[in-house]
Amino acid sequence: MNLSLFLLAGFAVLLLILLVGVLREPGRHGKPENGLGFPEESGRSHATYLKQVRQAMAEADLEFLAARGSRELRLRTRKERRRIVLAYLCCLRTDFLQLWRLARVISTMSPKVGVGQELARLRLVLIFSFRYELIRVKIRFGFAPLPELGSLSEVVSRLAVRLETAMRELGERAALAAQLASSLDGRRLDAR
Amino acid sequence: MGSMPLSVQFIWACSILVQLIVLVLLFLKGNSRRVPFFTAYMALNVCQAGFLLVLYFIPGTSSATTISLAWVSECITLVAQALATTEILRITLKPYPGIWGLGWRALASTIVLVVMVVALTSRGQNGGERLFELNRGYHLTFATAVIACLLLVRYYSIRVPTAYKMILGGFCLNSCVEVLIYTFIQILFHKGFEVHQATWQFLTTLSFVAALAIWIVAVGKPLPVQDRQSASFSDSEYQRLAPEINEQLRQLNEKLLRLWKLEARPR
Repeated sequence: MNLSLFLLAGFAVLLLILLVGVLREPGRHGKPENGLGFPEESGRSHATYLKQVRQAMAEADLEFLAARGSRELRLRTRKERRRIVLAYLCCLRTDFLQLWRLARVISTMSPKVGVGQELARLRLVLIFSFRYELIRVKIRFGFAPLPELGSLSEVVSRLAVRLETAMRELGERAALAAQLASSLDGRRLDAR
Repeated sequence: MGSMPLSVQFIWACSILVQLIVLVLLFLKGNSRRVPFFTAYMALNVCQAGFLLVLYFIPGTSSATTISLAWVSECITLVAQALATTEILRITLKPYPGIWGLGWRALASTIVLVVMVVALTSRGQNGGERLFELNRGYHLTFATAVIACLLLVRYYSIRVPTAYKMILGGFCLNSCVEVLIYTFIQILFHKGFEVHQATWQFLTTLSFVAALAIWIVAVGKPLPVQDRQSASFSDSEYQRLAPEINEQLRQLNEKLLRLWKLEARPR
């Protein structure tokens, strides 16, 4: 009896905490959200830095440093480069989130939203976030999977390009519809 | 009325006064036209207070009849509360028909789920206790459903005007506190609920006064009108784009999974 009552009280407290969370202004306390749009438009696309990241991950550089320089220098370089790769992974995530936000905007502007599609996307985002954190931790501890990072960035870029094309088409169609509506209004006024 | 402790009488009087202020503000600021159901809810609350006042003063009315009639009046205001909340959510989500469609489905599923949980956990010993548990079940369902809807609104980054947020927040706050008060009374005092009815009355009325205070601030200014035009895309565009985006996101996830497996491989 008491356990169910405690659970009930706990649930009510949880609801109160959630209430405070959902009513809080998003921009005021949390991280400011990046603007909508495609990664390319923001000028901070991960693809811009791919070449440098490849260079940073090259094992040959480290081998060269180990052979010619000191061990200390090699370790320092490796640490610095790992930091760069982490920053790159973070950019990749930013791109992913930006595209995800764009998908949500498409949903909010649609007259009918598919529950299945929305739930599937939510699940994907949750899984992505979880895996991203795991990989980030692993990279921090010294593993650097270069080929996979490259293909990751390719996927994000391809998605951005396809979405940009789709959005441009939609924009053109919306402009055409608005033009048509205004010309119809004009005709109605003339008729009066 | 005379059997009520002075503290309960005082908080009750305060509550009626604040309810009247909210109602007057709704009419003065022209908000009654924007939120007719919320205005009706406030008016019903004032009527309920008047009805209870008369009920307590009628000589010769049996205690059982008074309690029954009081609960009937409470049921009417609870229905009005649900309608007023739906009205606010509808105003907020009107320009987003797709999300509203998703929202009412979320509301319905949450309501069914919580009602089932409440039905399974209710173990009232007598009729009076069962009524209190039903009341708690209602508030729990109500708060969960509204918070689920607010989570959805937050997820899609839909901007809710502050005044509407305050109205919804007031409703949820009151419901959550009602659940907490009744549950804590049950946990702390094992003698049976009727013994602590005065404590329950005082605390629940106090939480309602707090919600009313929030509403005074919300309706103190004319409520904003949602002037955003409704959906700009057609259904077919969503049907085309949504699976495409999901497919790309899935591919990205697969790449991450491969990355994870690559790391897991023994070196």
